[in-house]
Amino acid sequence: MASSTNVHLSPAELSYLHTSLSLNPPIRPDGRSPTQYRPLSAETGILPGTNGSARICFADGTEAIVGVKAEVEKTRRRWDDDTIFGENQNQEEGEEQDEGEGQGSSDWVELTVEIPGYRDDDSGTVFLGQMLCEALLADGGFVRRLRINRRFHWKVYLDILLISPPLSYPLPLLSLTTHLALLATRLPKLKSEGDEDPFFDDDWAAAPYLYVRNPTTKRVTERPPVTLLVMAVGGNVIFDPSKEELAVADVVLAVSVGDDASSREGRMDVDGRSNNSGRNLKLLSIRTVDPPSRLTPPGVANAANSAYGHAQVVSTGANQKMPEARQTESEAVEGVWKPPRGGAKAVVMGALVQKVLVRGGVADEVLDALEGVDTS
Amino acid sequence: MASLKRSVESDPLAANISNKIYVRSTKSGKVQKIVREVYLRRDIPCSSKLCRECQHQMLIPKDALGKPIPFVLSDSPAGTKVFPQGHYLVPDTNAFLTAMDLFEQESAFYDVIVLQIVLEELRNRSLPLYNRLISLTKSEDKRFYVFFNEFRLETHVARLEGETVNDRNDRAVRRAVAWYGEHLARIKGKDAPSIVMLSNDRDNLRKAKQEGIHACSLADYVRQLKDGEKLLDMIPETQDRDQIKEKRPGDNLYSEYFSMSKMMTGVKSNLLHQGIFNVSPYNYLEGSIRVPAFPKALLILGRENINRAVDGDLVVVEVLPKDQWKEPSTQVIEEDAITKNENPDAEESDDFVSERERKALQEEVKRTHRKTTEGHAQPTAKVVGVIKRNWRQYVGHIDQSSVSQSAQQGRKQDSVFVIPMDKKIPKIRLRTRQVSELLGKRILVTIDAWDRSSRHPSGHFVRSLGELETKAAETEALLLEYDVQYRPFPKTVLDCLPKEGHDWRVPQSLEDPGWKDRQDLRDLLICSIDPIGCQDIDDALHSRPLPNGNFEVGVHIADVSHFVKPGNAMDAEASIRGTTVYLVDKRIDMLPMLLGTDLCSLKPYVERYAFSVIWEMTSDADIVGSRFTKSVIKSREAFSYEQAQLRVDDSSQQDQLTTSIRTLLALSKKLKQKRLDAGALSLSSPEVKVQMESETSDPIDVKTKVHLDTMSLVEEFMLLANTSVARRIYEAFPQTAILRRHGAPPKTNFDELANQLKVKRGLDLSVESSRALADSLDRCVDEKEPFFNTLVRIMATRCMMSAEYFCSGTQAYPEFRHYGLASEIYTHFTSPIRRYADLMAHRQLAAAIEYEAIHPSTRSRGKLEAVCKNINVRHRNAQLAGRASIAYYVGQALRGKATEEDGFVMKIFSNGFVVLVPRFGIESLIRLRDLAETEPQAEFDAENYVLRVSGSREVRVELFQKVRVRVTDQKDETTGKRGVRMELVKTY
Repeated sequence: MASSTNVHLSPAELSYLHTSLSLNPPIRPDGRSPTQYRPLSAETGILPGTNGSARICFADGTEAIVGVKAEVEKTRRRWDDDTIFGENQNQEEGEEQDEGEGQGSSDWVELTVEIPGYRDDDSGTVFLGQMLCEALLADGGFVRRLRINRRFHWKVYLDILLISPPLSYPLPLLSLTTHLALLATRLPKLKSEGDEDPFFDDDWAAAPYLYVRNPTTKRVTERPPVTLLVMAVGGNVIFDPSKEELAVADVVLAVSVGDDASSREGRMDVDGRSNNSGRNLKLLSIRTVDPPSRLTPPGVANAANSAYGHAQVVSTGANQKMPEARQTESEAVEGVWKPPRGGAKAVVMGALVQKVLVRGGVADEVLDALEGVDTS
Repeated sequence: MASLKRSVESDPLAANISNKIYVRSTKSGKVQKIVREVYLRRDIPCSSKLCRECQHQMLIPKDALGKPIPFVLSDSPAGTKVFPQGHYLVPDTNAFLTAMDLFEQESAFYDVIVLQIVLEELRNRSLPLYNRLISLTKSEDKRFYVFFNEFRLETHVARLEGETVNDRNDRAVRRAVAWYGEHLARIKGKDAPSIVMLSNDRDNLRKAKQEGIHACSLADYVRQLKDGEKLLDMIPETQDRDQIKEKRPGDNLYSEYFSMSKMMTGVKSNLLHQGIFNVSPYNYLEGSIRVPAFPKALLILGRENINRAVDGDLVVVEVLPKDQWKEPSTQVIEEDAITKNENPDAEESDDFVSERERKALQEEVKRTHRKTTEGHAQPTAKVVGVIKRNWRQYVGHIDQSSVSQSAQQGRKQDSVFVIPMDKKIPKIRLRTRQVSELLGKRILVTIDAWDRSSRHPSGHFVRSLGELETKAAETEALLLEYDVQYRPFPKTVLDCLPKEGHDWRVPQSLEDPGWKDRQDLRDLLICSIDPIGCQDIDDALHSRPLPNGNFEVGVHIADVSHFVKPGNAMDAEASIRGTTVYLVDKRIDMLPMLLGTDLCSLKPYVERYAFSVIWEMTSDADIVGSRFTKSVIKSREAFSYEQAQLRVDDSSQQDQLTTSIRTLLALSKKLKQKRLDAGALSLSSPEVKVQMESETSDPIDVKTKVHLDTMSLVEEFMLLANTSVARRIYEAFPQTAILRRHGAPPKTNFDELANQLKVKRGLDLSVESSRALADSLDRCVDEKEPFFNTLVRIMATRCMMSAEYFCSGTQAYPEFRHYGLASEIYTHFTSPIRRYADLMAHRQLAAAIEYEAIHPSTRSRGKLEAVCKNINVRHRNAQLAGRASIAYYVGQALRGKATEEDGFVMKIFSNGFVVLVPRFGIESLIRLRDLAETEPQAEFDAENYVLRVSGSREVRVELFQKVRVRVTDQKDETTGKRGVRMELVKTY
């Protein structure tokens, strides 16, 4: 699915939008500040049959549900490894192996995205799924959590459903919902030890969370990644763009950020306190998303169009006769929107990422807000 | 951003819905989260007859017919000292787990409320106990009511955060008790009975006190009862968590079991092995286990390796390193002899393996080392865990020597050892207050636990069966040991009998539905031949010449399936009993007497329904044609074997009936010859008959059974009928026919015997086929000793597999073969009064000849397999019980007499040998130490099966040797059985 669906705006309307978004400060059609998200309501644990689930409703009416199911699966092993209890391995070897085996594999996660009205093999849907998956797999931290022992792991199925029509590009919605669902995910408590066949406690209440919580504060110490949608119009950076805003974007980026717990813990020890701004954000992945403007072929003036008798014009030297034609091709006309041409500037890209990652920036804000959602 | 949780309160019906979430692990290794919604209701009655409220509100549940189910709990429950106005009991799960026997008492424990949560928990913990509780709730006089507390709105308890499942369940029990209290308090005009919670959990009791509800520990409660002192014994030792002493690590005698998951992983990867643990009948310290991975059984030697496994448990073993492999012991080790004079009170014995045991082991090692051939050592294993205990109730008696003097008088609780009747079961430590009363009695006990720190399992007393050696006690003991259902038939079963009772007759009018598709064979000259005094006559025969020179031969079997319809209570009871059990002086019927000995029994001179198999045979006993039909017959005479034999032999008797018996006899001989030619085995087991004083039924003499021609006459035609029926039902139901097979024994089974014959007599035993075996058994003769052949046959029989019932879909056709009878296909058809398998065959045959439609239960493979499994077990138990009964009566018959008899050496050990006395059909062990005052020296030559005794007595004993023994009776100290004791008089 392209990020532009059914935007039926005239060039004049587009130009108006573009202009107002390029102002400093930009003026957004719905009156939000550039970094402001659309209001949303969220809840978790809505699907009792799943290991974890969440639902988020944006104020514009888009709504998504994510369910997480986990299954025990046998880990493929090295061909020469036939030990069962791992008893007869000497120490060094054991360590070496642990390091190697500590890594999960990306096929432990299966993620499907369902957008109403689109086939599941639609390129847009697949791309969305890939972006969400990529963020999860990027630093290997997520799959490491799925390891049970050397012989077994959890296979996680993430079912991401958009249940409203896609009124805007659903990436932020789906990502936030997935984030919450993973936070709420619990896996049965392991009772067996070492590399035995796993054996679980039948008490669901004893099942630990996939993302461990601090036993005293009940706060999640580490969080799954989120993917933010950011766009630039002129020099302005705008978060969580609506459908109309996307139509006039110069650059659109999907930025996945994770919470780098390891470095945070070190710092926290020094501070002796853990406030939200203490979060150490880590960039996991960046994807450019083609805005509609990129998909619209720029108009070619009749004069320059050989199919339209350009050759003839050249031979008769008639370019003097039609000065306007030249002009339309090179300069923007006031009041008429013209898709931007050429790539995004490195400066703009840098600014976009910077804006996401800066402490106290949008990503922080989003994560703070998500922390407010009760996931127990 | 706002968090929006759907509020529960907004739903008006939310209060009525709850849920239950748990994790389910499937066998295939899947782990699922299961969510169950629970719908709470207010219409579950309390079921107290006192309660008007529940009755008024039309809460009385109805059964399938719309009839209201009566309320269970009495309106005038019994009181105790503490609860004089009467009380209802609410036990928690632990109370049932630890003291189910108490609840089965007849003197107390009435009006019990079984909470659903307790019942469910019990089912998860122990299925046998659950089944016992269910049967209690079904019995009308015990008044046990299952209250579905989890579904009643007021008693449903939601789990609190951080609460363990156990705490939650305890709270649910207390909540139910409290609710019952409030509920019944509303009864006007009468003192409401108290609701008393029974629990052994201290924490639960404390909380109950806080909440102001009545609660007692089991012991406290029992003390309030009238005969409480006695019942106290049935409460197992308290397993209170806080009471367990801090044990030093060194105190544990046995190694710890592996965790379940570790065992499962090991078994799956073939590093550990799972199987049923069997104890050797000659050596209680030697066990064996057959595992799928190896063709031969693994040995498990010594206490440490047996590691608390009891005969019959499903255990996991680990193979020991090769240097610990041993050969199976050639020594007889009896627990009693070795662990005598142990003190049951001494918790920690200084060393776990006692001095004597150690000595026995050293002997063993010496022997192994002396061996020149190293190859004999067998792999040994160690028990590392128990998957499933197979503990049942055991019959035994208190070991006199374990009773301290003081205990014999006082009534204080004392520890004693109980020696089970089954030698394979270890001694059980028992705490009881009634030592003096129980001494010298047969008692029933159960094992409760076997701690790592205790040498012997601990158990508790269930009930006393009576004085040792009284007929009633011994018979009941026998029935209990072999799990024979001997209780009288319940009313529901008797309700299935025809209303006319003994007056039932075959209807006169041929229009009657009973005559439908039945052939009238009343004019045939049919007679029955059975043992003397047989009342349940299953079969009758006839033969008559046909005009074409052939013969018509008919076998008529009692038509039991006419009376026992599939699926009713009588059918269910019969399928559980499986078979009639014959003891020397008692018969435990599969079907109620009315059917077995009257309505079904093919008694002479009366008309009876029958199921007939009729063949046309040539005079060479070749079958020309066969047919099957339901019929009505009238037997002309019921002969005993002896009478029939006399009649046949008496040439002056020329009446039609006698001639027809002669024809049958002639044909049967030809049939037998054909069978033997096909390779049927003629096997042997020592069979004797106990003669009883007719009035007192005291045994007076023992006789070996004499074989008569008329016996094989009946046998041959029954075999023929069974084979014909088997073919017919297999043809009709290739997937579900009930058949009987006898597997070919694995060659290794005969290794020992073949070697013995080779070494001792230079005889070859070929076992390639049943024919080869039959022939080589025929060659095993000793001109001087006619019994030698029988002896070899007896020993060969013990090498065989046992025959089994099966459902035809579970095996391939070649596997159907009956090895012993050399028949391709076989079933049981001819004794439906006493075997359930025959009844099933009758139903299938009736369906096959389109007499009646087949009932679903006779067609469902799953059901049939379950039936086969059960009747195989029952059949075996019935045989064992029968034999044990004979053994007991042989002992009784010999009581106070001493006779000298000839016997044969069947088995030889390094410190003893087993002698079989054919005259009594008994075998007994003669130990070295029995040979002379001081135990003589002996040299055992295992390769040549010779035991050279020297020192205090010079004698040379070898296998198959004929010996003269003095047979006396003796009370076996170990088992309390009166048994036979043999002394060697001389060798021939």
